[in-house]
Amino acid sequence: MVNQNIIIALSKGRIFKDTLPLLAHVGITPQDDPETTRKLILDTNHPHIKLLILRASDVPTYVQYGAADIGVAGKDVLMEHGGEGLFELLDLNIARCRLMVAGRPDAMAKMGRLRVATKYTHSAECYFAEQGRQIELIKLYGSMELAPLVDLADCIVDVVDTGNTLRANGLEPLLHIADITSRLIVNRAAQKLKHRVIADLVDQLNNYLQEATLAQ
Amino acid sequence: MSHKLSRWALPAGIDELLPEQARRVEQLRTALLQQFHVAGYDLVIPPLVEFVDSLLVGAGEDLSLDTLQMTDGLTGRQLGLRADMTPQIARIDAHSMKPETERRLCYLGTVVRARPDGLGGSRTPMQVGAELYGVAAVEGDLEIISLMLRLLHMAGIECVVLDLGHVDVFGELARQAGLNAEDEEIARDALQRKSIADIHALLAMRNLAPAVQNALMALGRLNGDWRDVLAQADQVLAEVMNPVMRRALDRLHHIATLVEQNFPQVSVLVDLSELHGYHYQTGLVFAAYAHGVGREIARGGRYDEIGEAFGRARPATGFSTDLRELLRFYHEPALQLATIYAPADYADARLLGAVERLRASGRRVVMTGQVIPASATQLVQEGAETGNLWQLMGDTNHG
Repeated sequence: MVNQNIIIALSKGRIFKDTLPLLAHVGITPQDDPETTRKLILDTNHPHIKLLILRASDVPTYVQYGAADIGVAGKDVLMEHGGEGLFELLDLNIARCRLMVAGRPDAMAKMGRLRVATKYTHSAECYFAEQGRQIELIKLYGSMELAPLVDLADCIVDVVDTGNTLRANGLEPLLHIADITSRLIVNRAAQKLKHRVIADLVDQLNNYLQEATLAQ
Repeated sequence: MSHKLSRWALPAGIDELLPEQARRVEQLRTALLQQFHVAGYDLVIPPLVEFVDSLLVGAGEDLSLDTLQMTDGLTGRQLGLRADMTPQIARIDAHSMKPETERRLCYLGTVVRARPDGLGGSRTPMQVGAELYGVAAVEGDLEIISLMLRLLHMAGIECVVLDLGHVDVFGELARQAGLNAEDEEIARDALQRKSIADIHALLAMRNLAPAVQNALMALGRLNGDWRDVLAQADQVLAEVMNPVMRRALDRLHHIATLVEQNFPQVSVLVDLSELHGYHYQTGLVFAAYAHGVGREIARGGRYDEIGEAFGRARPATGFSTDLRELLRFYHEPALQLATIYAPADYADARLLGAVERLRASGRRVVMTGQVIPASATQLVQEGAETGNLWQLMGDTNHG
């Protein structure tokens, strides 16, 4: 078969850390540590499998365009991206958190147009549209918690894990938008062109996940 | 950026073809149209602008968002720039043609999309495709698929993967499950992404019969080599099988068998959750994939009811692709003959005669006031004593 190399896109940090055991279970281990190496493409113990280490929000883009065949991306990032050109083959049940509206305890009581600071502009827009609330979106790229503190916004939309950062700043998680886990995503064309290799990998991961669920 | 600097810039997703590309596009275009011609397909050239109502017939909401619109000063009605030529061809078949039993039409033209179309973000793809009207039998599907595969092969694509699907399998399951329009749309979207987790989250709240729920979730996994998938489908869908689904699966089996037999170099897959164009497709759907491209290179299927809005519903099946996408695979057949240069002397009748004779024989002659490099193929004067004759020098194309 032609071109059966597999490129897997991951993001640094929690997703990488939580994905490693899954990959190890299907016999894939990286040859370099992404925290220390300067390499952008990591070799694995299989010559035909490479890992790309990307910014989390870039993972769906690389996979959509086919620059990577497979990726691991949070549902938050996928909801924001739209998921066009992608298959979400597995819920990996890792990097679990919630997408939430947060702010000062009385933030939702405000009448009229709500100022919402977030990097999840698409998800925020959809959520408040469903709620029938007019909002003004303020696109930020990080440190969302700061926005209500300096009165840049009334509330924020962000992923919440323990909620400790929020509480340390006098904010609270207020409304639940969605439960978030990481998904295994696959490029539509790669799924067709390399379907044997990819189906094998997905089946092995799926069996492992089912066993892990049963064990719990 | 100042206005002066930005004046050369084109709008996002709108590009032009420079000489080298334009020549290749034209060669490929001619070659494709010849393929259509010898297969019995007649070329039609629909207008760039039409009433929006006709442009959007049978299509989903997406096409409306993709269509650039303006008001017609003459009628006050909305005009649209075509974003897809398929409804135009259906209109032509339904209205402008004598009712014959079968009709084969092909088309090629630039469409304009208000939103960038998928990867690369082009808003002006050159859509090329063929439509077969009046053939409901499986032979119609086979004819269109074979035509598409021959065309892709001719465009230089060596290893094609053909993916087959059928919208009736999901359609029947959604009906059995009693999903309302909104839930059906959510389920379709989840299946389109093969997200078993999302479809499970939707169905878990609906209290469905377990057999239907399991079958809907299984659809997300029913993709791969056609033999495996159809064998699995017979087992997994046994409890919910009905005559409509049986016919759909049998047709897929029939098509896959014959395509594999006739095109041994093509890998045939079946994907029962492939629901692209679910709103207007009425049967078989298919897509072709090529190595090195992150999305399908051509797609098509059956849409038997599209002509109804124009007063004449009849069986219809077709495919389309983007000429510019094919271009990256295309290798021109023959080397171009070198350009011949001649001085721009419009007073020399003998020179002009020589130039005309060369051009008449198909050679490319440029008359220029610039200095012609000695290495170039050129017309040179053999000197006054030999009668002021113009001779071709340095022509490597004639052995």
